[in-house]
Order: sequence, then C-alpha cells, then structure tokens
Amino acid sequence: MNASDFTATSVAGQSAPTTVREDVLVASAVRKSFAIGDRRIEILHGVDLEVRNSESVALVGSSGAGKSTLLHILGLLDEPTEGSVSIRPAGSDQMVDGFGLDPTERARLRNAEIGFVFQFYHLLAELTAVENVLLPAMIAHGRGRYRKLKRELTARATEILVEFGLADRLAHRPPQLSGGERQRVALARALFNEPRVVIADEPTGNLDTATGERILELLFAEHQKREFSLLIVTHDERLARRCERTLFMEDGMIQADTSLPMPH
Amino acid sequence: MYKTFLSWRYLVTRRTNLIGIVGIFVAVAALIMILSIMTGFLEQTKAMVRGGLSDMVVLPPTRITQGPYRQDHLHTALDLLREDERIVAASPRLTYYAMLGLGGSRSYIDRKLTSDPTHGGRSVVEVVGVDSAGEWRLASSVLAANAALQGFNVEIPEFQDEQETSGFGPALRRDPHEDRPRATPVPFPEFPFTPPRGYMPDGRPKVACIVGEQLFHSLYLSVGDEITLVTMLPTEADEEGGGGIDAIKRAFVIAGTFRTQDNEMDGGRIYVPRAELADMLNDGRDYTEIVTKLVDFDTDAVALKADLETRLGELNLLDLDGPGGDPYPGQIRTWEDFRASLIGAIQNERVLMAIMLSLILVVAGFTIFSILTMMVTEKRRDIGILAAVGATPNGVLCTFLLIGFWNALLGSLLGCAIGVLGAIKIDTIEQWLSRTLNIQIFNRDVYYFDTIPSRVEPLPVTLIVGGAFLCTLMFAAIPAWRAGRLHPLEALRYE
Repeated sequence: MNASDFTATSVAGQSAPTTVREDVLVASAVRKSFAIGDRRIEILHGVDLEVRNSESVALVGSSGAGKSTLLHILGLLDEPTEGSVSIRPAGSDQMVDGFGLDPTERARLRNAEIGFVFQFYHLLAELTAVENVLLPAMIAHGRGRYRKLKRELTARATEILVEFGLADRLAHRPPQLSGGERQRVALARALFNEPRVVIADEPTGNLDTATGERILELLFAEHQKREFSLLIVTHDERLARRCERTLFMEDGMIQADTSLPMPH
Repeated sequence: MYKTFLSWRYLVTRRTNLIGIVGIFVAVAALIMILSIMTGFLEQTKAMVRGGLSDMVVLPPTRITQGPYRQDHLHTALDLLREDERIVAASPRLTYYAMLGLGGSRSYIDRKLTSDPTHGGRSVVEVVGVDSAGEWRLASSVLAANAALQGFNVEIPEFQDEQETSGFGPALRRDPHEDRPRATPVPFPEFPFTPPRGYMPDGRPKVACIVGEQLFHSLYLSVGDEITLVTMLPTEADEEGGGGIDAIKRAFVIAGTFRTQDNEMDGGRIYVPRAELADMLNDGRDYTEIVTKLVDFDTDAVALKADLETRLGELNLLDLDGPGGDPYPGQIRTWEDFRASLIGAIQNERVLMAIMLSLILVVAGFTIFSILTMMVTEKRRDIGILAAVGATPNGVLCTFLLIGFWNALLGSLLGCAIGVLGAIKIDTIEQWLSRTLNIQIFNRDVYYFDTIPSRVEPLPVTLIVGGAFLCTLMFAAIPAWRAGRLHPLEALRYE
C-alpha cells in the first residue's frame, strides 16, 4: 500500500465532512531519535498532526515508517526528543501540553482522555472481563470514591459488555476468551472512561477477517455513538477507507493527508 | 484502589507467593518457638539453681567466724540484717564438705563410689548445718498458751531459721520427681530433723539428716538408714612446724529427702542441724555464713549489697579492702553471683540463637525478593498495560510493594500464631513426635525438667513479627522499585 492507492480511492469516494471541528489532539514538530552506540537514529522527523473532535483518522505506512512510535507519543506513552503533544480535555477550552506535565499528571491525563486498543489485546490475565473493563475506573478513582461508585460502575461495565455481545463471558478471564472476544473486552476497557481520543494500533491485526470485520463494525458504531476521536494505525486498506482522513507515513514524516470516502 | 485489588489478585493467583508466605511463616514460628523455649529454659534454670540458694549471703572472714567473739559478732550482724526493711529474714549457716560412707552391708557401694571414676565426686557431699526453729516456736506457743490460761501475757519471740531464708523450706515440701519414686520427703517440714518413725538405734541415737533426692536415689538409700560423714580437719602447727590433719567422722540417720530441682544440690547436699555439725567439727566455728531473704531481690539486691558492705565494714565484720593478712577477707554474694557463669552462658546462648535464627528471616526475605523479581519480569507486559490505562509509576511501585506487604503480613501473622501456639503446646508436640517417631526427643533426666520449659513473652514476639515484617518489606521494595521504573513501552513490547 502506498500514498497513490489512497489518492486514487479518494477521488472516487465521498467528500470529507465540511463542518469545522475543534482540535482534540495536536502534535507539533515531533521528532524522535534513538542513540545506538555512537550512532543516532532518527525515527520521526518533525511530525505535525491535528486530530479533530469526533474525527476518525487512519495512520498508514510501511513497516518502519514510524507509525507505532508516533502513536505511542500521541498516546503520551513515550516522550518525543523534540516537539510537543497537546490534548484538549473534555469540557475544557485549553489545550494541555502532555509532556509539560509531570509523569503522575500525564498518567492521569492518559487515564481520562485516551483509550488504547492494541493488536494483542493486552488484557490482564488475572482479571475477569468485567474487572478488565473496570480497570481504568479503578485507576481514576481513589479507594473511597471507587467503593461508593462500585455498584454503578460495575453495572455500566456489564452493560457495555452485554452490548458488545459478551453477556455470557462476564466472569471469564482472558485465557478463557477467543481473540475476538478479547478484543471486544479491550475495546470496552478503552471506552469505559469515555475518553476524547481512542488510539487503536492494528486492532484487527491478530484476528481472522470475519472477526476483524465485526470488531471494526463495533468500533465505528461506538465512534458514531460516543463521538470520540479515533486514530487507527493499520495496514488494512479497507479499514483506512472507513476513516474520514488517512495520513500516510513514510520515513518518519507524514507524506500525505487525504480525506477518504466513508464506506457506509 | 487498583493497587490493593491487583496486588491481592496477583497474590492469590500466583502460587509462587505461597512459598514466600510459608518461608516467612516458618522463620517467624521457629524464632518465636526457639526464643520462648530458651526464655523458659533460662527461667526454669534460674528458678532451679536458685532453689536451695538464699537471696544474699554474707560470708564474714574467718577471723570473725572462728574468733573468740564469734557469737557476739554473729548477733551484731544478725541484728543489723534483721532490722533492715529490705530483708525478710536472716539466719546463720555452717557449711562443710565431707565424704559419705554407708558401711556395713552396703560397703560395696562405698567401694564403688570411691574407686569408680564414673562416680567421681558423688561421694563428696556438701554438709549444710542449718537452724530449725520449729521446736522453739512450738515450745514458745505452748508456753504462751499456758501462761495465758494463768492470766499472763507472754510475747512469743520471733524466730528466723533456714526455712525462711533459703529454698530449704520449699525444698522440703516439694513433691518428689516422678522418676524417683523412692524419694521420701520428711513427714513434718516444720520439724525437719525429727528422727524417722520406727527408728531403732543401735546404741546412741544418731541425729537426723536430710539427703538430696537424687543422692538418695542414686545410692539406693532409705529413710532410717544410718550414714557416716567423714571429713578432715586441719590442726594447729605443732612444735616442729609441721601441720596436721585429723580425720573426723559422725553418723547420722536419714529423716527424709528434699528436692530443690537443682541437680547439683539434689545430688550432693545433706542438711544437718547446725549445732550438730559444729559439734562434729569442733574447730571453733559454729557458722560460716549468714543467709538472708530479701523483700524484693530484683529491686533491692544491688543497693542493699553495697549498703551492707559499707555498714558491716564499719562494724569491722567484713574486710573488703583485704588487709589483715586474712586470705579470705569475707564478702557478700547474691544468689546470681553463685551461678553467674551458668546464667550468663544460657543468656549468651539465647542471644546467639536469636542472631543465628534471624538469618532464617533474611533467607525468607531473599525468597520474597526472588519471587517478586520473578513476578516483575513475568508481569512486565501487565506493567505496560497499567501504564497505558493511566497507572502512575508510583502506582505500579505500590502495587508490587503491596504484594510484598501481603506476603509479609500473612507470613508474619501466621508465623506468630503458629509459633505462639507451638511454644505453648511444645510439650504435647514433643510427646506426639516422640510417640510417632519412636525416639526420645527430650530427655527429661538430662535437664531434670518434668516438661519442656517455654515462656512466651510479648516483647520478643512483637520484635520478631515486626522485624520479619520490615525485613520482608525491605526486600520487596527493590523489585517493586524496579517495576515502578520500567518504561511503559519496553513493558508493552515484552512478550
């Protein structure tokens, strides 16, 4: 897959939405380099990126282009060598510089505003499906507040899982679930704190086509319903086509920013 | 919230944690049990060695005890001691060493005792001449009662004898050791030197003596047996400058046995009336020491000892500075002074044992360290996931530290409970083990204890539990700190 594939497709597709939406996630001149011995390897060469409210963005590119590195920096999991990443918290007019915060505050921001969906699900094997979904809420609330809210939170986690078709898997642990079920639990966990941005790293990369398709339908349905901004790293052309925008990355830079037609 | 929840979940789902908990539990329980037994052993030994000893003994120099004014000096000293409020009672005592002979039909025992090295020393006994005021008290009370009948008011004088100043009284009243059925306590402890019932002397009646239970048992003695005490007495230098030694002997009849619980005393001491021993020796001495019982030994002993040294020194009854050419200038000794080396040895043993056993705690701590290190490695991906969903580095650190905390808490509490229970029930456990394994684990003859002594003291138990807890937490802190420092991405990439 390359940039021209997406350009060609976009011509035949629908036009991008015309309404102007506020930026939710902004990366400015993000650079990332690693030192290996005396050599310095630069992965990202000054990436600028804005993700707007309720927007779905696909980040595509060949292996080694720096997609995952960028994704981790945007998710505040990894610090850039240079540049900044700002997030607009829910109900705020101000953008917050994620890396201007101390690690504890940054973790809180991540907990409240960013949801992650990983290719390998990354669920905690010792917890049941409901407990995995509750994990971000457990982290967000102190012991006293969580105890007060526990019944309500558990009911909500159960509701989401039931909605995701896991009614009979609530008390199951990840090793007892299929790949698709695990990814649905992971999706429920990512959405539980109602973040402004959901970052998905190859969410169907570890699933067969049919299961992957069902997960994507669920993801985009939730995206429509909850209106979070969605940033997906993918190799899958069809998945990229479902997003409003596609960013094509090559050699640590965004080479093309293309609005793609929505397939449905 | 998640820290407690996750740490507990990790604890119960990873069985390796059980090893850590068991390690701490065993260490704590072993330490508590061993220290309790050692404390019990120390206390029992102290009580045992104190058995026949008085709290404080005044040993005047020989110039006083053998001098012409010895009786005056004795009364001066006794008055001084008895007037002191810290002293309950004081009484004189005459001690001498002698060889024990049975003679007659039992001469084979004498031969055995004097020639068999395995019985070395057994025939040498400490002969203690003591006062017994029972007869005086009885006579005085009868006199007073008679006088009262006739309308006179007679005040009974206060008598203080050996029964009030040393362990002699309790030793006479203590039940015999169950392994020594032949032991026969005297029938009337108030009148200990009453000749045995049915005593038919062959010639002049012998004065009664009371024999240590173990000595009585090992020599196959019986109440009513006559024994002969043989000793030597130095005589004054003759005209040619040579000294002489006289051998003297006297027969006594056995009135009964006593039991102090101190092996040394019960196996090598005979009580006789002081006047009889003085008469036997006839060397111008009728007491060698004054034994006292204190109101509160633990509080007063040190101060009283110093006080008495000064006051008796001022009365010229003690030569503590060592002048006067007397090789034995006299001294005041407490019962602990007599047994200082034994008590010190047991105390040292207890401290050494505690130090050595504390190493078990360190081993248990290392177990926790390795289990948690293993868990941090195993759970690297989880650490990344936690970071991705918003856990702070300190939150991750706390989660793993809490696993150590649960290990420490459960291990220490369990160890405390089992250790205390084991220390209390050690005798039952030992008996069950001995029966089950068909071996004798605790030989009651060796220690002369009826049961394994054990005393659980709150302070050492608290220190052990607290120490184990802190030690474990310290060992857990290192891997927990490493977990907190782990980069989320490195953790997430770990497969």
